[in-house]
Amino acid sequence: MTLERLVGGAVAGFALLAVLAAPWAAGRGAGAGAAAAVMELIEPPVLAAAVDGGKLPPVRERVPETPAVADMSGEGRSIGAHGGTLNILMGRAKDIRMMTVYGYARLVGYDPNLKFVSDILESFEVEGGKVFTFTLRKGHKWSDGAPFTVEDFRYYFEDVVNNKDLSPFGPPPALLVDGEAPRFEILDQRRVRYSWSKSNPAFLPAIAGARPLFLYRPAHYLKQFHARYVDKAALDRKVEAAAKRNWAGLHHRMDRQYRFDNVDLPSLQPWVNTTKPPSDRFVFRRNPYYHRVDPEGRQLPYIDEVIVTIASTSLIPAKTGFGESDLQARYIRFDHYTFLKKGAEERGFNVYLWDRAVGSRVALFPNLNAADPVWRAVLRDVRVRRALSLAINRKAINQILYFGLGRPSADTVLPASPLFRPEYRNAWANYDIEQANALLDAAGLDQRNGDGIRLLPDGRPLQIIVDTAGESTEESDVLELIKKYWKKAGVDLFTKPSQREVFRNRVYAGAAVMSVWTGLENAMATAEMTPAELAPTTQTQLQWPKWGEHYETSQSAGQAPDMGIVQELLDLNRAWRDSDSPEARAEIWHQMLAIRADQVFSIGTVNGVPQPVVATKALKNVPEKGIYNWDPGAYFGIYKPDSFWFTEARRQAAR
Amino acid sequence: MLSYIVRRLLIMVPTLLAISLIIFVIIQLPPGDYFESYMNQLLSQGENVDMRRIEFLRQQYGFDRPMWEQYLVWVWGMVQGDMGYSFEFELPVNEVVGDRLYLTALVSFATIVFTWVVAFPIGLYSAARQYSWGDYTLTFVGFIGLATPNFLLALVLLYIANVTFGTSIGGLMDPEYIDAPWTWGKFVSVLEHLWIPVIVIGTSGTAGMIRRLRANLLDELEKQYVVTARAKGLSPLRVLIKYPFRIAVNFFVADIGSLLPSIISGAAVVEIVLSLPTTGPMLLGALQSQDMYLAGSFLMFLAALTVIGVLVSDLALAMLDPRIRLQGGTTR
Repeated sequence: MTLERLVGGAVAGFALLAVLAAPWAAGRGAGAGAAAAVMELIEPPVLAAAVDGGKLPPVRERVPETPAVADMSGEGRSIGAHGGTLNILMGRAKDIRMMTVYGYARLVGYDPNLKFVSDILESFEVEGGKVFTFTLRKGHKWSDGAPFTVEDFRYYFEDVVNNKDLSPFGPPPALLVDGEAPRFEILDQRRVRYSWSKSNPAFLPAIAGARPLFLYRPAHYLKQFHARYVDKAALDRKVEAAAKRNWAGLHHRMDRQYRFDNVDLPSLQPWVNTTKPPSDRFVFRRNPYYHRVDPEGRQLPYIDEVIVTIASTSLIPAKTGFGESDLQARYIRFDHYTFLKKGAEERGFNVYLWDRAVGSRVALFPNLNAADPVWRAVLRDVRVRRALSLAINRKAINQILYFGLGRPSADTVLPASPLFRPEYRNAWANYDIEQANALLDAAGLDQRNGDGIRLLPDGRPLQIIVDTAGESTEESDVLELIKKYWKKAGVDLFTKPSQREVFRNRVYAGAAVMSVWTGLENAMATAEMTPAELAPTTQTQLQWPKWGEHYETSQSAGQAPDMGIVQELLDLNRAWRDSDSPEARAEIWHQMLAIRADQVFSIGTVNGVPQPVVATKALKNVPEKGIYNWDPGAYFGIYKPDSFWFTEARRQAAR
Repeated sequence: MLSYIVRRLLIMVPTLLAISLIIFVIIQLPPGDYFESYMNQLLSQGENVDMRRIEFLRQQYGFDRPMWEQYLVWVWGMVQGDMGYSFEFELPVNEVVGDRLYLTALVSFATIVFTWVVAFPIGLYSAARQYSWGDYTLTFVGFIGLATPNFLLALVLLYIANVTFGTSIGGLMDPEYIDAPWTWGKFVSVLEHLWIPVIVIGTSGTAGMIRRLRANLLDELEKQYVVTARAKGLSPLRVLIKYPFRIAVNFFVADIGSLLPSIISGAAVVEIVLSLPTTGPMLLGALQSQDMYLAGSFLMFLAALTVIGVLVSDLALAMLDPRIRLQGGTTR
């Protein structure tokens, strides 16, 4: 398969998603309510017995009066039927939190086109980016049947966030704008409002995130662990029984909607955990009070049960290849593709190739905060960074390591992002040894030793030691190739594998001159998403950890950026937050991307390397083309696994 | 005899205390702590981390206290039977280990039985018929078992089992039986899965045991009392079993000391490859994520078993072998 054809396929895939998503986005709000009024709701057969026996109210009373109607139009999507068990594999017991990610029930979520649509909420309004008004669905219930109300929002804001014992550190960052907490109001029985004096563009993305900001808590359940609501002596007994230090520890333990490790904690997700940890097999059953229905009135999810089996990560590709998972992408890498493809026919599953949204599969980060003054000066010279980028033969890396299925690119946004421009991708990313040599000569690194390696200004050879977290053979393969190409520019490269903590600490302390990691986390960005990743905003950014720390700790630690162009990135990031028009935001994004491309603050190699997604043939509605991304995307989340369904044969076999 | 046992038991206390100190120090040696490695794990998956929350958790779990205080709390807890708290599982260590312990014991016990059943006849035969074809062939097979990397053998057997019998890959039972109550079906399923780890872990042990038994027997077979016994007309098998064999198994009794902890700890590498729900992978995971009380308490448990095992084997040897006497006390 040629590169062009594959890229073409990917673009067509996105176009298709866009088409499929359009009516969905348009149908939100009032339309859904009107449809539901005439809709006959269909009871999932697995719950029929409980309903007949009077243990469960009928479906009409379980779903909200205006349920969220899933859009099933569009190519490859169809209305399904209830039933079946989905088997998936995870590497450790903690991974069951992925069920919150895959389930993807959010107050406001992304649609496949990365637009915000209301989901748990009936509707939401944003005024000037400052005032957010949320309207709940009437009759919405938790998975235990208790009503989901504005009280649950109040409990979170007043009794969790603003409780000194539970949140000694104050509200989460997404609720703060320059340290300012929101004003929280209950407008009426179904509406709440959060407002700031300045715009808070981080708010909706945090709510819609893969690991969301949960603005609500099942207050009716959690009050039994809260000092404000129960008798101290009774609470102390519970604290002691749970071997916790104080009631706050107990409350935290019980209150983890994301982690899914408390089987008693009510949830709003499509499937809820029924297995108490520790275990190697977790059974998630359908939430009988789930708020989404299909256009014919079947309460979602279609699939009754999800079984998460814990297996060692190294065995997961093998188990998947033998057909032991119905839907698997986690712990499967591109280099397993051929093996999986081999088993696909015999074991009856499809292997799709989805796109990944990282800016570069493997990227090099010159540490501009390096402790060694000579190295620091050299790496801060933009000519050196450009030369190092030019001296990498990305095309060859793509062919040798990725069968030509990736795209040679600088570390920037992907073509699928509306912010993409070819010049960002191509900036200093073509293979040009002559120009690289000329740039390095011009940067004053024109002396060489006997081996042809350039010398630093103080006479040491230009041997770049690249720190790695030592986890991926892929990284070392890429570095091995880069070493070969850099030699031609008179630069030597050595790899220093260590362990993740050591790796990070060496970078933070400036002991590492250069490090390797994946490129931009969200290279599928739209102008509405924060560009913070492009500027030094957190210590975990490997090219300027100290500047990031400075920003992150509100100037109390780290170092202030002393490069004008970096300060400009910070100013732009700030300007983006304060701007309110989409055009202005896009413009700021482009300015930042242009600076990043021109300054080569991270050296990208290849992106668009696909992620194999294994889905059993009996499982319908799994898109053939998609984006496998953490945030935005929530892996399978934005493709709504609650609308995946099993063919008749499979459902029969399971019975 | 009694005073000897009491003395040995008393010596155990400082021994175990020293071990606990070493374990605690070694677990603390790698840079960072559990929360740091947890944070890095989240970061590597692209999840964002709120540093202030991590700080809060550190306080909740007493990480802000000085090292010696953490150590004392841990040791004092263990004395009372409280093995501490696992951060990774967010449960008391006792509960985390509980389920896995008996499955590990099952695997290890089956492996030991397999090793004996295979090794003893072969060892006896090899010694009695030294340098025969049979000796060479069996020794060769034993050495192959020793030389093949365990994990490779494990993968090959997994593949064969899946392709020919349709056994699910890895684990100790089919997924639907996990956490299910014991039934005939579950038992059969466990048996279907058990043979792979047993063979894999057993083969290497078997080869070692064959060699040791053979060497020990050969030493004895040369001795004069054997010649005398033969000259007096005892049947060859009776000669072999009655005297030289009994002396040759001394090494085996001495081995109990290391056998006891290995029943509980299992063979970590194979268990990880096979994804067994046993303690080996759990210990490794705990060490990797610096889940210090889980790792520490488990290692302490193994240390205690080793110390007890050594005592048991010493006593057993004293009873088995009349040459060993306790009257001399512990002077060397």
